[in-house]
Amino acid sequence: MRMEHISKRFGDFYANKDVSLDVRKGEVHTLLGENGAGKSTLMNILIGLYQPTEGKIFLKGREVRIESPSQAVKLGIGMVHQHFMLVEAMTVFDNIVLGDKNHKGIFIDKEARKREILALSEKYGLDVQPDRLITEISVGEQQRVEILKALYHGAELLILDEPSAALTDIEVEGLFEIMNKLISEGKSIIFISHKMREVLRISDRITILRAGEVVTTVNRGEYDGQGLANLMIGRELSASQYEKKDSQAETVIELRGAEFNKESKHNGLNGVNLSVRKGEIVGIAGVDGNGQTQLAQLVTGVIRPDQGEVSLKNSKVAVFDPDNFIREGVTHVPEDRNLQGLIGDMTIADNLVLRTTDKAEFSSGGGLFLKKGRIRNYARQMAKKYDIRCTSVEQDVRSLSGGNQQKVILARELEAGPDLLVAAHPTRGLDIGATRFVHDEMIQARDSGVGILLISADFDEILEMSDRILVIFEGQIMGEYSGKNPPIEEISLAMTGK
Amino acid sequence: MNKLTKSLSSFVVPLISILLAFLVGMIIMVCMGKNPADALYFLGFGAFGNAANFGTTLSKATPLIFTSLCACFAYRCGVFNLGGEGQFIMGSVAACYVALRSGITGVPAMILCLAAGMAAGGVWGLVPGVLKITRGQNEMIISIMLNYVATLFMGVVYTNWLRDASVPQTEAVPNETKLPRVLTGMRFTYALVIAIVVGLLIYYFLFWTSGGFKLRAVGINMTASRFNGFPVKRYILTSFIVSGAIAGLGGAAELLGTQFRLINGFGAGYGFDGVAMALIGQLHPIATMVVAVFFAALRTGSMTMQAGTGVPTSVSDIIQALVIVFTVAGMALTKLPQFEQLRYRLRSRKGGNAA
Repeated sequence: MRMEHISKRFGDFYANKDVSLDVRKGEVHTLLGENGAGKSTLMNILIGLYQPTEGKIFLKGREVRIESPSQAVKLGIGMVHQHFMLVEAMTVFDNIVLGDKNHKGIFIDKEARKREILALSEKYGLDVQPDRLITEISVGEQQRVEILKALYHGAELLILDEPSAALTDIEVEGLFEIMNKLISEGKSIIFISHKMREVLRISDRITILRAGEVVTTVNRGEYDGQGLANLMIGRELSASQYEKKDSQAETVIELRGAEFNKESKHNGLNGVNLSVRKGEIVGIAGVDGNGQTQLAQLVTGVIRPDQGEVSLKNSKVAVFDPDNFIREGVTHVPEDRNLQGLIGDMTIADNLVLRTTDKAEFSSGGGLFLKKGRIRNYARQMAKKYDIRCTSVEQDVRSLSGGNQQKVILARELEAGPDLLVAAHPTRGLDIGATRFVHDEMIQARDSGVGILLISADFDEILEMSDRILVIFEGQIMGEYSGKNPPIEEISLAMTGK
Repeated sequence: MNKLTKSLSSFVVPLISILLAFLVGMIIMVCMGKNPADALYFLGFGAFGNAANFGTTLSKATPLIFTSLCACFAYRCGVFNLGGEGQFIMGSVAACYVALRSGITGVPAMILCLAAGMAAGGVWGLVPGVLKITRGQNEMIISIMLNYVATLFMGVVYTNWLRDASVPQTEAVPNETKLPRVLTGMRFTYALVIAIVVGLLIYYFLFWTSGGFKLRAVGINMTASRFNGFPVKRYILTSFIVSGAIAGLGGAAELLGTQFRLINGFGAGYGFDGVAMALIGQLHPIATMVVAVFFAALRTGSMTMQAGTGVPTSVSDIIQALVIVFTVAGMALTKLPQFEQLRYRLRSRKGGNAA
């Protein structure tokens, strides 16, 4: 398989630019890159979900156009997605033959199919039980079903997207054995992973993507983990525009040994210790999906920890409920602003006063009669102060651009006069101007004494903003670094789990 | 979209739907060899032509107003109460029991009956609410099922406990306990006044109080409401109870004002009619009341239409059904992204102020 000079443009943005990649028969070829480096786009082109803007794809030396996923399957390309695509209420057998068109008539010769499947399963040591329901089998087995399904549909080239994400360490060993068997049978594998240890062990060659472009392709052994991490992150420390502070003020929140759903590496927390003081920004760096979502929800009271304690201003929290945390002065810029932050079909004004309508300022009788005029005036002030660009504050907040929506949330959360602001991916999807605005506001809040926990998968943002940096990986805190002259190489390696 | 165009456009869909439904109805009339203009005249006359007819329309609208407000209130909190009929019936059963067995008559009895009706409806709404927030059960299925339970329970009541001699119906409520008419010569009673007051109260609560504001927020986005510290489950349960109580009050008022006794078929269909009207009224309590009157008018007028022109009342049923179908389809249409694009293009072609 060879991809030549592939580019994919969305509007003015190049998700992939002049990417060339070749995968040989019988090799494991790893794609390495940060979030948003263009790995997924490239793979989606390969399986026919996207059409490349430019470039060609060759299979076994012959140029092909892949126009749909079913065509990709026909050409022998199979993908095992990070989130499995299985019908849970059906059996393993049903899932494997699903979409198989090479049978005659309307009936499926189940016995013959089952024999084929078992033979395949035997050959590659996949060890699946065809008659079990998907819901009854372990995640590791589900993945083997996905692999078997791809093989059954005739895959010669398998794409494994973060296959170890959901697995236990023992299951990962099993996966590697299977991968070795597959390549020894002449199959090829494209392996996508963030975990340096695994990448170093299993890959024959490694292609590093950064900002949609290929940095280089290297053979195993040419670089060590640090070398690869440097290539992947690929940046020099540029001086932050903001002054870094070393706050000695009181602690606003402290987590001791906090655990949540710790079996899950990607949706859990395992023994997290951290604290945020007033007047500092603590940045949580890490690749997406290493427990950041849970951390943000834990420190805002949305979920309760299974183990460990959380203290707000030195008193232990007993009731995990967002309302309780809000009353203790915790505010939240949530990661999904439309789902978690805003009431989309309500107006800008409504969203700005969402939690404060009981106050005498906005209603009489403790909420019995809303002072709509006051609310509107307040909203107009806020729109001016936070530069919310709208035609009217009576506009539905849904109709605003992402940046302006985020400003609405920021206005609401900062005007609440918090002690702690939890900001999860606060500038995701925002343009440069809005990003700058959000950052300036956060720094201003810090300087006025707000403690800020900044959770972001954008490493630049973490470096730019944080007074202290903590790295999270598989739900664990890997290390703590100063925000002044942070050791970029060390941090980037910690983000990949080493 | 600013507020004005938003409320305008939410009027446009039902209005176009009504016109379309009438158009189809008229085509049917033409196919039957009738003159649609005559038929429509009699339809209008039967519903609004004189004080008596208008009074009948308002009387018919009263229970529909209650059940549609019941549906409206629950929908505003984002839950689907399809049990309006059961709550309505339970309300009337409770009111009937109090009216016949408490030994009180007159105004105190009326108040007691209405209160009992509200309580019974509230309890009937509480059940799906509790099951939803504690066990995550689907409130639509539970509330629909409870409709059957209520209907059958009412059957037990009128065939056994409160049976009128050997007839399968209850005795009539005492004359002194019946809700009086507001104006002589018009059939509607104080039940309508209660309905309108309830509608205005709901409007006030939803749009002018902090609690109603939060309830609407919960209804639009439960996740964001939870993240912002609202007690989402409490709002859901409350909305179910209040919604049930509104229907229950309606059942009691209907019993005391119009029907006077429980009998097979009492309240049948009101629950789902209410859901449809709430949707056509865009979940706005006042618009919902207007829609209820409109539907009642179609029902009342169709009798006159049948008598005057020979167009059967079922044509009116077809029109009513089509209004619902067109409105729901229209609302779905306006939510499509293609529709937004089309509108955007139209606006920018007008050299408009879109930019």
